[in-house]
Amino acid sequence: MSNRKRLSNTQSSSQARKHPGSPSTQEEDEDVTFTQPSTSQVQRGLQKVTEAQVEQKTAEVVQYFLVKEQRKVPVRRADLVKHVLKEHRNIYPEILKRAARTLDQVFGLKLVEIDPKNHLYVLINNLETSEGASPINSTDPKRGLLFVILSVIFMKGGVVRENVIWNLLKKLRVDPGEKHEDFGDVKKVVTDEFVRQRYLEFVRIPHTEPVEHELRWGQRAEKEVSKSKILDVMGQLHDRDPQSWSQQYREAHSSQNSTQQPGSSSQR
Amino acid sequence: LSENRLCSRGGGDEEAPRQNGSAARRRGDPPLSDGDDAGSDFGPADLQDTDNDPSLRREIRSKYRDLISSVQQNREDMLSPTNNRLTEVLEEANRLFKDVKQAREAALDAQLLVVATDLGKEKATQLFSDGAAFDPTAFAEHLLSIMGINRLEDAEDEQQNGGAVDGYLPQDAWHRVARRAECCFKAAPSFHYMFGSFHAEPPPPKQRIERQRKAPSKEAKRIMPTQLKKMDESHQEATEKEVERILGYLKSYYQDDPTSPISYYEFVIDPNSFSRTVENIFHTSFLIRDGLARLYLDNAKLPCIAPVEEGEVEAGISSNRKQCILTISQKTWKELVDALDIKDTMIQPPNTQNE
Repeated sequence: MSNRKRLSNTQSSSQARKHPGSPSTQEEDEDVTFTQPSTSQVQRGLQKVTEAQVEQKTAEVVQYFLVKEQRKVPVRRADLVKHVLKEHRNIYPEILKRAARTLDQVFGLKLVEIDPKNHLYVLINNLETSEGASPINSTDPKRGLLFVILSVIFMKGGVVRENVIWNLLKKLRVDPGEKHEDFGDVKKVVTDEFVRQRYLEFVRIPHTEPVEHELRWGQRAEKEVSKSKILDVMGQLHDRDPQSWSQQYREAHSSQNSTQQPGSSSQR
Repeated sequence: LSENRLCSRGGGDEEAPRQNGSAARRRGDPPLSDGDDAGSDFGPADLQDTDNDPSLRREIRSKYRDLISSVQQNREDMLSPTNNRLTEVLEEANRLFKDVKQAREAALDAQLLVVATDLGKEKATQLFSDGAAFDPTAFAEHLLSIMGINRLEDAEDEQQNGGAVDGYLPQDAWHRVARRAECCFKAAPSFHYMFGSFHAEPPPPKQRIERQRKAPSKEAKRIMPTQLKKMDESHQEATEKEVERILGYLKSYYQDDPTSPISYYEFVIDPNSFSRTVENIFHTSFLIRDGLARLYLDNAKLPCIAPVEEGEVEAGISSNRKQCILTISQKTWKELVDALDIKDTMIQPPNTQNE
């Protein structure tokens, strides 16, 4: 599992947070030993448990996801197996399938795997927000900050040097060197919190002295944030037709980015 | 030579021709013209010597380092599409390279190239086709108006500060941005329990209020809010003491003349202080509540008070308990003082105040 090194900042920081002992090895062991059981194994496993047990485990998984989502930290498959499923790991796919269905039908939430290699899951809203409805997450100012950063990255082609962001924020009276009223340690929020939540990627640029980083959209942002809607807001702000930004418009409306699929199945 | 080095610290293009000129001079024209230079290397052997001349080598290396640091420090400037700084740097490097003979300088040249190509790549990514250009500064301006910035009216201030500190952002500036941004996110709502955990303790103050309501005198009830606090704050003892003291007065007056009834009003009224009167009424009401004193109406239907005999105390408690309500205002109090011709208070105020 050497691919873990790919997102050096993101992965190692989140792992260090979880297991202060020996971070990566323990998680890798868990994941390596847990191979997805085959369908026949699942079938056999299902015969050994009662329906009530399966439902119990499903409910626990659903609760686990909901609570984890409070902090917007992605759920790791290995954690799910270790902490919730425990001895029922052999019927993991069945339980996950049921949990996804419950989350969709009861809560209107979609279970999405944002990282197929490392098996990370998040919940996103499957329902279209209606205009004029009261805001769901009660206008958290961090949401505004994130929007600004993601917009700039997107409008500038997907990658941006960190200085561009810091300079922009300074114009908005947010200085990474000072404590901010709403955000506190802004640098930490951007480079640590948003990265852990997988909204941003903060990667070091080689050959830079002093060290500089670049910012990109994180895996969660790719799934959760609508580029076309960002372009619409940009159009409103600048009083321009969104189509006038031709390259960004194409990017936002390409097939893999159309996230508006109301009512589609959320099974994965 | 040291002068030349000082000049080259300034970096940049103007000095270069002169430097190169002097270097070229040293190579091309050996004997005649450079009397003020380092001096010893004249003659045909000069050509080989310049290859190894340490001061020249140092000069070249220092120029390279200057170039590298100027590129790194003026990043933003170099990246701006409005100038050709990057090209000029590369041309300068080209010129320097002609003199490069040793590995050390070549390494610096390579390093400069790495830095310059990074910048070049950055500049290339900035190149977007027409209509796709995005200016963060304009974006910032639009955001500020969304946030509801209050610009200072003095335009002069803006110019002086370079636009850095003009205007104030309201408290909810970022909340406004978040509201505009909401539609772009398909974020799952955070899950929280609606009512939090269950609190099992009954609220304590309520019980005390219950007890106090049973006191018979409405007047006492009105005083109750201020007195209640006093009772809680261990002034309870003071009140009890006061009540006992009054009982003492009552008993002594009664003993002085058991046959003569003591007018209730004469007993409680203090002609000098309305508030003392009210306090006396309050304290007396306790005596009555506890069955230690009794109120009755005499032949003239005026209320009288008398202490209860020792033996009668228990009998009195359960059987004829009647409640009465007494009101008194300052006006009534004055009228009573005049009507009953009360000159002195029967209950002396305590020496130390309860306050």
